Amino acid sequence: MSALLAILWKDLVSEWRSRDRLVAMGVFALLVVIVLYLAAPPGGGPEARAHVPGLLWVAWSFAGVLGLNRAFASELENEALSVLALAPVDRGFVFLGKALASFVLLLLVQAASALAFALAFDLDLRPVAGRLAGVAALGAAGLCTLGTLFSAIAVRTQYREVMLPLLLLPLLVPVLLGAVRATQALLLEGTLPWPALQLLLVTDGVFAIVSFLCFEVVLDE
Amino acid sequence: MTQSTSLPRLTAAALGVSALLWAFFVWRAPIDAMQGPIQKILYIHVPCVVGAYLGFFLTAGASGVYLWRRGERADRFAAAAAEVGVLFCTLVLLTGPIWAKGTWGRWWTWDLRLTLTLLLYLIYVSYLLLRSFTEGSERAARFSAVYAVVGVLLIPLNYWAIDLAGGRTVHPENLGRGSLGAGMGAPFALGMLTAVAAFAHLLVRRLEVGALRAERERLDAEALRREA
Repeated sequence: MSALLAILWKDLVSEWRSRDRLVAMGVFALLVVIVLYLAAPPGGGPEARAHVPGLLWVAWSFAGVLGLNRAFASELENEALSVLALAPVDRGFVFLGKALASFVLLLLVQAASALAFALAFDLDLRPVAGRLAGVAALGAAGLCTLGTLFSAIAVRTQYREVMLPLLLLPLLVPVLLGAVRATQALLLEGTLPWPALQLLLVTDGVFAIVSFLCFEVVLDE
Repeated sequence: MTQSTSLPRLTAAALGVSALLWAFFVWRAPIDAMQGPIQKILYIHVPCVVGAYLGFFLTAGASGVYLWRRGERADRFAAAAAEVGVLFCTLVLLTGPIWAKGTWGRWWTWDLRLTLTLLLYLIYVSYLLLRSFTEGSERAARFSAVYAVVGVLLIPLNYWAIDLAGGRTVHPENLGRGSLGAGMGAPFALGMLTAVAAFAHLLVRRLEVGALRAERERLDAEALRREA
């Protein structure tokens, strides 16, 4: 448990000092918002607004993948990854620390880009802000657990920046579908459908357990 | 070496016999009253599904064995089964739309089974890419084994998610339950047999290639050691 907190603290402090991941993810998410706005039907009417839930998750998952790509890149310098693997703690907690750090960063980016979406598409998110944050967090949790596992794999392959989305996106379908359905109902009707939440909760649980167990094997060098 | 040379001959003979019988029965099978001659594509399409799923489940099984025992042979088996499975799945995804265009009037719909098969295909293509982009055979084996096991574990979740998203099920039901007309059962059964024989033959040949590659790597390493 203390290993988890130590890794989380280390990642967040080093991110606070350089701020490179956060800035890159934030700027990228903003650019995606602009591109999506330009690609949507002109005028930003109800037709364009109906697509916002899906577009939000496009921006969030792309920004998440961008951030996850860097999650282990810094650990390659000075063989830090091998030291992490040699640390006399359960590697599952190393995994949880790394995943939590990515999760916190993604939440910040999600909040900022939701604001950008609200401004661009003229949406009033205030009445649903709390519930939207909950759905965003559930989606981000699934993205970051499986993403951290595959990031640890992709970082040690050739073309690592290309490899992560190829590995991750086909397996993220349950999380993305659940999250988009829940966000759709929330933004268009103001309700939270239980089946979509159920899918998100179960998927998050399965992803967390599977990644926790497999991380041990992935670090085994 | 006798075992390794006689096995491919056996699978090739099985493939040849069943393919000939299958082609004969497909030729003799009646033309479907509703769909016309295009229905005969299903005699290829459905057996290829068997090959595709056989490949994917064998890959996941062999990957599980690899993670447990760390045997090189299990890894070579997983790689071979994945490649053959992807080949069959490509055929499924090519023949399906041709039939669908003639029967449903469109090439593709986001039906539950179609989407699930497409996703599984993409997962296994990513699996093969991961293998080829990872340096070091032990590392490639470990990474790809983890990926294959995770990929198969998540199939039920994908099924649930696509079902929830309301993928209209327009795909025909599974075989059996008396849905086949007279003279249509034999070509389907022989098609399945041919697909399994083709799968076995390709798998055996691909395993030979894997074994030869491993042997060459071992000889290269030995030569390097002798030089040093």
